[in-house]
Amino acid sequence: MEKETFIEEILNSADAIKPVAPSEDLFYKIQNKMEAKNHSQEYSKWLIAASIAILISINTLLFFSKTKMNTNKIAVLVENTDNQIY
Amino acid sequence: MKDKQPDFKFLYNQYATLVYNLALHYLQNAEDAEEITQDVFVQVFQSINTFKNDSSLKTWLYRITINKSLDFLKHKKSKKRFFIFGNKSESETEWNRITTFEHPGIVLENKEKAKILFTVINSLPENLKTAFILTKIDGLSNPEVAEIMQISISAVESLVFRAKNTLKEKLSIFFEEYYKNSKNKSSK
Repeated sequence: MEKETFIEEILNSADAIKPVAPSEDLFYKIQNKMEAKNHSQEYSKWLIAASIAILISINTLLFFSKTKMNTNKIAVLVENTDNQIY
Repeated sequence: MKDKQPDFKFLYNQYATLVYNLALHYLQNAEDAEEITQDVFVQVFQSINTFKNDSSLKTWLYRITINKSLDFLKHKKSKKRFFIFGNKSESETEWNRITTFEHPGIVLENKEKAKILFTVINSLPENLKTAFILTKIDGLSNPEVAEIMQISISAVESLVFRAKNTLKEKLSIFFEEYYKNSKNKSSK
């Protein structure tokens, strides 16, 4: 076979490609995929909300415990009524 | 006033064949093309309310399908490279052989020629590949391709011209290799 003929035949083979329809259940697969995606998005939202709540709780606990420690230190200083510096 | 929810089933019926066939032209495998079609429609259904109407819905679908198909091919190629420890072959005749070629739109008697065609198409750079597939296989006009690729009509013409020339060069090399191999086999 001549090279030019070969090249032409290969390039022209694209003309014989016919459109085909996808499988009939593809739409339902898409619906299932969307539902799965929505569920995972809901789960992620709850996870993020829970993480933020835990962080806020820890920070609040730390803040109040630190405040209590500072209060105790001040109380100790105040209790020392002896005006002796040394 | 309540926003009207898009009719997904209607949208799917209108464009499923278009999306599926375009994915087939890129991937030449029915299973992979179905996976891409699913991903395209999931993305479309999820972001349809944010669609700005800058272009037509059809153009938007074309762009999403092309991007997802090209990403799929890149991902496949990087997996292959991993398995051969990152070495990329320098040989001109090292074609990207299609191991799972099953394009259902091709009849049996045309299969071998089409397989060779898609083998060389797969070796083209992305922009040449896209321009060639959209014009010569999908049958779109140059203005339609220009809108999809967001380039000028003359740029599309240039890409198609370059794609054809590159394909002819590669087919010429392929022919010589094929003819050489046949000659060697017949002389043994």
